[in-house]
Amino acid sequence: MPPGPYGAPGGPYQGPTPPPVRFSEGVHRLHWATAPLRMFVILSVYFVLLGLPLLLTQTEDGVVLVLTPKAVARFVIVTVPMAFIAVGVGLWAWLALRFRVDGDDLVVETGLLRTRKRRIPLSRVQAIDVVRPLVTRLFGLAELRVELAGGEQNAIALRYLGRGTAQQLRAELLARAAGLPGHTPEAPERPLWRVSGGTLLASLVLRLPVLGTALLLVVSLVLLVLYAELGMLAVTIPALLGLVRAVVAPMVMYGDFTVAISPDGIRLRSGLLEERMQTVPPGRVQAISIVEPSLWRSYGWARLDVTVAGYAGERQALSSVLLPVAPRQVALHLVAQVFPGADVDAVRLLPASSKGIAGAASGAGTDDRIFVVRHGRVCRRTDVIAHARAQSVRLTQNPLQRSLGLATVHIDAPPGPVRVAAADRDLGEARAILESTARRAQAARAAAGDPARWAARRS
Amino acid sequence: MQPPPPQGGMPSSAPPHAVPQNSVPQNGVPQNGVPQNGVPQYPADQAFQPGGGLSWSPISKRYTWHRRIAATLWAVPITVLGAYLVARGGGALGAALWGAAALISLGLAWIVADLAYRSWGYAERGDDLLVTHGVFVKRLVVVPYGRMQVVDVTAGLLEQWMGIATVRLHTAAAATDAVIPGLPAAEAALLRDRLARKGEERSMGL
Repeated sequence: MPPGPYGAPGGPYQGPTPPPVRFSEGVHRLHWATAPLRMFVILSVYFVLLGLPLLLTQTEDGVVLVLTPKAVARFVIVTVPMAFIAVGVGLWAWLALRFRVDGDDLVVETGLLRTRKRRIPLSRVQAIDVVRPLVTRLFGLAELRVELAGGEQNAIALRYLGRGTAQQLRAELLARAAGLPGHTPEAPERPLWRVSGGTLLASLVLRLPVLGTALLLVVSLVLLVLYAELGMLAVTIPALLGLVRAVVAPMVMYGDFTVAISPDGIRLRSGLLEERMQTVPPGRVQAISIVEPSLWRSYGWARLDVTVAGYAGERQALSSVLLPVAPRQVALHLVAQVFPGADVDAVRLLPASSKGIAGAASGAGTDDRIFVVRHGRVCRRTDVIAHARAQSVRLTQNPLQRSLGLATVHIDAPPGPVRVAAADRDLGEARAILESTARRAQAARAAAGDPARWAARRS
Repeated sequence: MQPPPPQGGMPSSAPPHAVPQNSVPQNGVPQNGVPQNGVPQYPADQAFQPGGGLSWSPISKRYTWHRRIAATLWAVPITVLGAYLVARGGGALGAALWGAAALISLGLAWIVADLAYRSWGYAERGDDLLVTHGVFVKRLVVVPYGRMQVVDVTAGLLEQWMGIATVRLHTAAAATDAVIPGLPAAEAALLRDRLARKGEERSMGL
């Protein structure tokens, strides 16, 4: 493997190696700086909400900031106990959370007087993220998130750990989840793709809804200036907010996006302000969608959306993109990494029945490993699910389809952005797809086994 | 019309649908499960049948009455309260129209209850459970036993009084939505135990 443009394998996060921490021995706590950080947050909130008003004095001229002895005394009397409370809460929060690695489990204990113990089997880990928000980057802190299947409450967030500690803990958790001894050094990674800022910006702008909104913004601004018609603000402001949401926010979030492949899974790094490092172990991606908006196709670009079980609610929106933009070949290569041996383009797609509303633009096909559905005339989406990942198969028929003798086959995956459904197949064909998919899923599951402990199983 | 498919629900004349003996692709040649020539390989009128010589296990007839009683229990207060409010605002004619509309809705609900009862069915195959239902939108779900995470039996007050229960299967996919309502309570418990045992034997995680 020749060294890529990203430096030696192992990634850019090397630096001077701190002495290894043994998470399986003793009890570990969050980074000590968490306590002062929390105190600082509490005191800032207090100062804005209560402290500052206490310093203000009501006079005939209005409210003024005069440091009269009375105001200062009043401020000090309230602030000193408040400071003690903040120190207490900060120390308490820091002391109350302890964690260690015990065999194949991560044990997290919370509370000082009444201890609550959570034991997390590492074989059920769906993804591990290291997040560094802007503020904590200044202090060299990082948040470690362990995603488990089953919703919002089932994620473990350790905020905040030292940067080196977070890296080591992630490596150890992944190694143990893979069935290797915990002191295994972090698996080397192979950089796959880096999204340049220019491409990202161009790809975000070159979408019909974004261009339409931009046009609307320009027209409304012109009208606003020419006719001084303030009513146009009702169009301008939403259009501006829409553009910020569609272009600026993804720019900040996916800026500096890199994808790397390692035996531990796919590593994603991104973020201009908040830096995120995601690791999705093998077999954890449930379904993938290759999205090709109409204007991207002439450039040969594609985006990859994925469903990973465990990312629930708000974090799902943050973590559903595997690749914000890349040449189609790179995207397909990544799909082949996620679902080993899958070749999306080799799967022959058969068009849906011409009678239905889905029409010939949508098609479905399958091989032994994956089921592929393509749909959408303007924005083309190709949904891919591995047979081994399918949860259940469904056949549905709405009244319109019943009158036409059609049905839709759904391949169910855990909730996420990707829904695989072959719409408007002829009824007999639909049932045949249903049966063959159920059998292939059965065979694939039997062949693949449980995705836990991927390293031990392979060797 | 073709004969019903042989056991296992698999059309005999469907080599592309054959179970792969191993999962190694044959030189990358795509093996489409979708029929190659566009001709359905499964008789269309059998598409919502369990196939393989099985027949749907029906649910209890009491399910119809459960729905009807529930609909009536909802309808009575709505009718009375609505008629009272309409009568205060629009007089006796409005109240009569309201009452008539409520009665027609209730009558429709009674008819739909029976259709819904007829539409429900489940069949236990070797490796998966089939559930079908739906009056307006027909559904057929195939849940592999190995994918079931939780099987639970619930019974509301009315259901308890009528001696029926609902068996619900959870997989990691929320869309699976495999529910069998209106089973006699004892049968529901037996089905749950059977499903749980089969699920444990084939458990797969995610």
